[in-house]
Amino acid sequence: MKGAAIAFAALVAIAAGAMALAGANPIDGFAALFRGGFGEPHVPYDDHRIAETLVQTTALLFPALAVAFAFRAGLFNIGAEGQLIVGGLAAGIVGARLAAPGFVIILATLAVGALGGGAWAAIAGVLRARFGGNEVIATLMLNIIAGLLANYLIVGPLHSPGVEGAETAVLPADAWLPTLLPGTRLTIALPIALALAVAMRWFFARSVLGYELRAAGDAPEAARRAGIDLGRVALVAMTVSGAIAGIGGATIVDGVLHRFNVALSPGYGFIAIAVALVGRLDPLRIVVAAFVFGILQSGSLTMEAAANVPKDVVTLVEGLAILALAAQQYVARRGAAAA
Amino acid sequence: MHGVGKTYPGDVVAVRDVDLELRAGEIVAICGENGAGKTTLATMAARILTPTTGTIEGTTRVGFVHQHFELIDRMRVWENVALGNEPRRGLRLDRAAARERVRALGNANGMDVDPDAVVETLPVGIAQRVEILRELAREPEVLLLDEPTAVLAPSEIDALFATLRALAARGIAIAIVTHKLQEVIAHAHRAVVMRAGAIVAHFDDVATTSAQEIARAMVGGEIPALAAHAPTALVPRLIVRDLCAGDDASGLRSATFAVRAGEIVGFAGVEGNGQTALADALGGVIPHRGTIELDGAELGGGPRARIAAGVRTIAQDRRREALVLPWSIVDNAVLGDERGPVFARSARRARAKEIVERFDVRTKSLDTAVDALSGGNQQKVVVGRTLANDPKVVIAYQPTRGIDVGAAALVASRLIEARNGGVAVLLVSFELDELFALSDRILVLFRGEIVGEFARDAFDRARIGALMAGAA
Repeated sequence: MKGAAIAFAALVAIAAGAMALAGANPIDGFAALFRGGFGEPHVPYDDHRIAETLVQTTALLFPALAVAFAFRAGLFNIGAEGQLIVGGLAAGIVGARLAAPGFVIILATLAVGALGGGAWAAIAGVLRARFGGNEVIATLMLNIIAGLLANYLIVGPLHSPGVEGAETAVLPADAWLPTLLPGTRLTIALPIALALAVAMRWFFARSVLGYELRAAGDAPEAARRAGIDLGRVALVAMTVSGAIAGIGGATIVDGVLHRFNVALSPGYGFIAIAVALVGRLDPLRIVVAAFVFGILQSGSLTMEAAANVPKDVVTLVEGLAILALAAQQYVARRGAAAA
Repeated sequence: MHGVGKTYPGDVVAVRDVDLELRAGEIVAICGENGAGKTTLATMAARILTPTTGTIEGTTRVGFVHQHFELIDRMRVWENVALGNEPRRGLRLDRAAARERVRALGNANGMDVDPDAVVETLPVGIAQRVEILRELAREPEVLLLDEPTAVLAPSEIDALFATLRALAARGIAIAIVTHKLQEVIAHAHRAVVMRAGAIVAHFDDVATTSAQEIARAMVGGEIPALAAHAPTALVPRLIVRDLCAGDDASGLRSATFAVRAGEIVGFAGVEGNGQTALADALGGVIPHRGTIELDGAELGGGPRARIAAGVRTIAQDRRREALVLPWSIVDNAVLGDERGPVFARSARRARAKEIVERFDVRTKSLDTAVDALSGGNQQKVVVGRTLANDPKVVIAYQPTRGIDVGAAALVASRLIEARNGGVAVLLVSFELDELFALSDRILVLFRGEIVGEFARDAFDRARIGALMAGAA
């Protein structure tokens, strides 16, 4: 706990130093960051700010849970970004073309989002299960392919008539995810993500498959000798992981943009790796971590506009947080080894 | 060396009160079973390890050839030989001189090696030459070799000893650590035998000594009685025919044997003669040829099918192959049975509690991570889990390795109980004492084949020792 406090203080100090270097007043910078994240009390409509923070939290939570799911099984899925894009792409294509009642479209888009993300991640899963291919490289490469593929399909064969730019047509308004707070972009995607976190916690704590996935992640050789098929674990874990990220992409399409746009993610899938690690792969801690990173995401825009501090300071802070965490785990391990 | 001893933390005595002298021009064999303290003694003689008691006098120019070579695989031969001892020209490394040194040393000692070969591309016998050349480059007066023939083919072994004899003739004192009696008889001038950390026998003139005499000294006293031997119905349970698995060097070539219900069959042999392949093939961990029959039905499939059929293994590396170290005893207690009813939380806890009580596992709670337990207590958890689900066949690979005497006795008596309950037990061990104490029958493995079989009333240490070492 003391270590965490020191780490936090150091983080704030370094961030302040970076702001000062960028020629801004650190106090103004932090104030703007905070205001951007939470909104100002007694200012009309400023509750939109906290709503926007929760939108960012949600967008990070899906891929972070996805990353954690695979990590628990010992698989370094760093392709949540690509899986999120493919999931969103599938949702956008289906949502913009399907003529059906709104709730049917919503369910269909979430389903194809899961399928798309899952199938995309399954490529890496199959490569790992069949040929022992390294999933880090596979998922990393698939990220790049996902972006280019989406661009090609949207601008090319699946281009919507009358739409300019790399996006699909707008989804019918009754297929938009219901908002929780009128006038904001905060939708039921948040409770869906929270429910998913709870389900995932149960899955790993109680279910047989969750137990086997954890065994494969924590002690692969012991798991193999106990009859757990490591290839199957790789395939299942990657596919489910991708499906979670894919649902996340679909909720951005259904709830935030109301269409698929190739720029739908400013790198959620990558920040999600940090969120998952800061949350120590525990779904409930990841919810907290996603909220903290959500504040940073939405606050950084205000910070840039109001205090003239470049958004990159936030990226710097995020990077340092991961570094501090890695160092802390390293020290803890060394301490355990010495004992 | 005078009165040299080494005690590790936890009062583990590896070597006690050893007097030993190495003389120029002589090849001395240090013999003993696994864990007798041979390597520790040699490491102290090489001044790598500091003794806890006693003194070591004489030259400090001691070369040490490790059992697992300490070479940098990706570097070239000359780079390995030069490392730490580099010829220089000004500030630069003198590559030409380093290459030339390898050539000259090779020529002088009959060990030609291409200086520019990358070590990882070399066969193991040649890699060992590199390791020896590296030591010779430092002009040692004493050369120690730890199990130098463990990985070598017969022709390579002959070449090695030719080299060693030539080195001895040039006045270098040589000591080899080994448990292969053949080599001792054939090549050493003098032999000492270690058991439980002490030197228990000196053979000053090996030429007039028989392998049997040395073997008897290695394994010690009389055969201990098999505890709680109960008569059991001897129905054939496991029938193995022409089992072949693993690689050429240390695999199983062709093994045919049967194990009856209520019988412990011990597999004697020097490590690396097919034991690992045997256990892994039976456990379904590696592919194999030949047939395995359990109670009349052919056994196939992977580990899950084998476990379902009632074949359980006490893996040789408990920390890597048996336990999930960060997990609690409770969660570890059902690994392999997680698809059965015992997975339910209360049943899982009950199983863990039963293991802890029956095996006297010393732990603060059932929720303690197994990583925090001592080696002996970890092993008790593994053995407890293996025996918990009414297995039909148990493959116990070195079940008491590296654990304290009390834990070892407990594990041994639980294995005997299982056998009395009708389990077919296959016991792989490198310690003859353990095999003699527990086995109803002993099969001897040598180079992947079964070369001898002994019923309990016909156990013969010297004969088994000789067969283990490859004597016909």
